[in-house]
Amino acid sequence: MVKEIERVGIPVVHICTVVPISLTVGANRIVPAIAIPHPLGNPAMSKEDEKALRRSIVLKALKALETEIHGQTVFEK
Amino acid sequence: MRLELGNIFIKDVQFGEATKVEKGTLYVNKAELLEAVSGDPRLTKIEIDIAKPGEETRIMPVKDVIEPRVKVEGPGGIFPGMVSKVDVVGSGKTNVLKGAAVVTAGKIVGFQEGIIDMSGLGAEYTPFSKTQNIVIVCTPVEKLQQHEHEHAVRMVGYKAAAYLGEAGRNITPDEVKVYETPTLMEGAKLYPNLPRVAYVYMLQTQGLLHDTYVYGVDAKKIVPTFIYPTEAMDGAIVSGNCVSACDKNPTYNHLNNPIIEDLYERHGKDFNFVGVIITNENVTLADKERSSNWTAKLAEYLNLDAVIISEEGFGNPDTDLMMNCKKIAAKGIKTVLVTDEYAGRDGASQSLADADKAADAVVTAGNANEIISLPPMKKVIGYLEPADTIAGGFAGSLKADGSITAELQVITGSTSEIGYTKLSAVEY
Repeated sequence: MVKEIERVGIPVVHICTVVPISLTVGANRIVPAIAIPHPLGNPAMSKEDEKALRRSIVLKALKALETEIHGQTVFEK
Repeated sequence: MRLELGNIFIKDVQFGEATKVEKGTLYVNKAELLEAVSGDPRLTKIEIDIAKPGEETRIMPVKDVIEPRVKVEGPGGIFPGMVSKVDVVGSGKTNVLKGAAVVTAGKIVGFQEGIIDMSGLGAEYTPFSKTQNIVIVCTPVEKLQQHEHEHAVRMVGYKAAAYLGEAGRNITPDEVKVYETPTLMEGAKLYPNLPRVAYVYMLQTQGLLHDTYVYGVDAKKIVPTFIYPTEAMDGAIVSGNCVSACDKNPTYNHLNNPIIEDLYERHGKDFNFVGVIITNENVTLADKERSSNWTAKLAEYLNLDAVIISEEGFGNPDTDLMMNCKKIAAKGIKTVLVTDEYAGRDGASQSLADADKAADAVVTAGNANEIISLPPMKKVIGYLEPADTIAGGFAGSLKADGSITAELQVITGSTSEIGYTKLSAVEY
């Protein structure tokens, strides 16, 4: 899906847990997620902390979308 | 560590007055077996049935298959940390009711449980159509949480296998096989000129009913470690998996791992079988990195020349497989991978979710997406209804006449990634 959307000229950020698979399939902007059963959250956290976590991932993804890249890039920070 | 495995060949199973083995027949006192597995308040009903090879019987949904074994000599008991104390097992003598199996079935726990057909096309795809099966159908109390349900049924399976195994305690085995692994230093001295080979045994540990236990410990909580191969033969590793039926390792397969047996077969002839590195398949990238770092570190530490790596399950564990492969290969150690494929119904899609050029020797146990049609059976032990919803099934899988059209995934043990199957796939 990532590749097909990019093919028509729309940049994509792939938020995913298993970064190596994302690299293998050819995503260009990759934001690491938390865990496979809960990529965008963490049920072990309090509701407040989890909300902050979720927000940070979304903000990181938006930042990645704006960033000029040259080749596959993993946005760790 | 030295283990004598005494195989008592079981050619028939019948209910009888006393639980015993006589002339190749296992007689089961139903009431006594029921008592041995009862007592869990989470289960309202436990039913016991028998399914024999060639019968028109379908068992589903199948959770686990377990071989009855008993420790006759040496420390510990079968399934340490589960039904026996946590002594180190794998030495002394163990008797096996070879040809018999306990199958746990009943109301679905998760969504990926399997089918065993005792005859017809489906029977050809599962090794458990050739065993004399004691089938235990468990019914949980209402609104029982899934993980509680899984635990309750899992324990019933081990208890049943341990109870039935006792029938073989005082029987002279028909065949005795000896498996021996010396200490590292002795082993190195014994075969200084043979390549040093170990087995990297990946265990499914994704949580949410995808778990494996080692001496009672949930393997997602371990860091990779080293075990004597014979420990597995005494049930040190057991399945808590309600996942993809075709390529999970039921407890039976952990007890009878063909990779371990074949490595022993050629030990001292073609290579020096050093031992087994067990590792997990966890759900965070950090866990995957840590565990594969450790398998590579252990492989280096053990001075290995080559490893065989087997996967359990599919999807994201393909990445664990590739990480193990490339990190071990980077140490200058040769690798052979054993897996299965999800190449689409026509076999044309990419087989694994991940790939790496270091994976240059791969053994496949078949394409789990292939469509098969299973004829109706006269007798059903368990429930047919989940056929549409288990992994590999789809809306319309179950026909009105009781036949099932689904992906090969639905058949228990069909694409075993430790090779407890005769299936493979070829390109043409």
